Amino acid sequence: MATVLHAVFGYFFLLLTVRILTRRPGGQLTLFEFVIVFLIGGVIILSTVGKDRSLTNCVCAIITVGLLHQSVSWLRARYPRFGVIVDGTPLLVLDRGKWDTDLMKKMRLDENDVMAAARSKGLTSLTQIKYAVLERNGSISIIQAEASKSEA
Amino acid sequence: MPAAPHLKPVEDTVPMVHGEVAIGEDLEFQRRWWRFERIVWIAFALIVLLDLLGVFGKGYFAKGHIHQGPVEVKFERVERLGTPSIMTIHFAPEAIHRGTVQLWVSESVVGDLGNRRIIPQPESSTVGNSGVSYIFPASGGRSSVLFALQPASPGVFRFALRVPGVNEIRSRVVVMP
Repeated sequence: MATVLHAVFGYFFLLLTVRILTRRPGGQLTLFEFVIVFLIGGVIILSTVGKDRSLTNCVCAIITVGLLHQSVSWLRARYPRFGVIVDGTPLLVLDRGKWDTDLMKKMRLDENDVMAAARSKGLTSLTQIKYAVLERNGSISIIQAEASKSEA
Repeated sequence: MPAAPHLKPVEDTVPMVHGEVAIGEDLEFQRRWWRFERIVWIAFALIVLLDLLGVFGKGYFAKGHIHQGPVEVKFERVERLGTPSIMTIHFAPEAIHRGTVQLWVSESVVGDLGNRRIIPQPESSTVGNSGVSYIFPASGGRSSVLFALQPASPGVFRFALRVPGVNEIRSRVVVMP
């Protein structure tokens, strides 16, 4: 029973910790997925299984974490609001030639991060960007100024 | 015949910026989240500070020290579940009678606080009076007895120690999960 309780606490504690670490640009995994990586990495697993290294205990811990992950996934899909809490919301950092400096400061993002994302799209200048969006997984989406004009 | 797949027509449900880009930004939520983050970080910093001070065990504020006549007890006021610690009992020469030291410890020392070992080994141990009485051979001078503890469950546990001719020593230990 202690293993299950420790696993539940460990899962949600790590979810909270990783979630408040704030997205960094260039992230490949969502924060939500990082939780699993961390758990498998074994920080909390030490207190989860404790000294009981029996197969029974480890299987119970893994099943608990798996069920929690499945439940959180279901809740994210079922309730978009819950998804926003777990993964965050996309944020507009560059809006038609204007930086949201307050937002960038809080998200620890700078112009170079946006330019790096722009370069990967083949853009050579910040002036070619119409919108830059910090996505939930930490990546930056670029919407090109010329492209959006041509579409209009 | 396989069931027809459930198909739903596409709708523009993601909120748009300036009516041209569907981003789904929720800045109001993000502002609330930043406030929440600040509170959590303050709480985390506080936890680390308290831990450094030993409030959660293994530090300055966790050290327990009781002096009662010829008996001095040093122990951890805050223990951690399954983590070994030492309770040391020093006896001044006045506590030694006829080459022995008698010590009674409450059952909680053996049970709740998880006594694993006694150093040195007692000459005899007798159960009774809701505890265990030990007799240790002593040759005079200042002597010490060590109890190696390892609590098996979290909680707040009271313990008591008795030495003939000395008032009962009582205290409590918090075992962190």
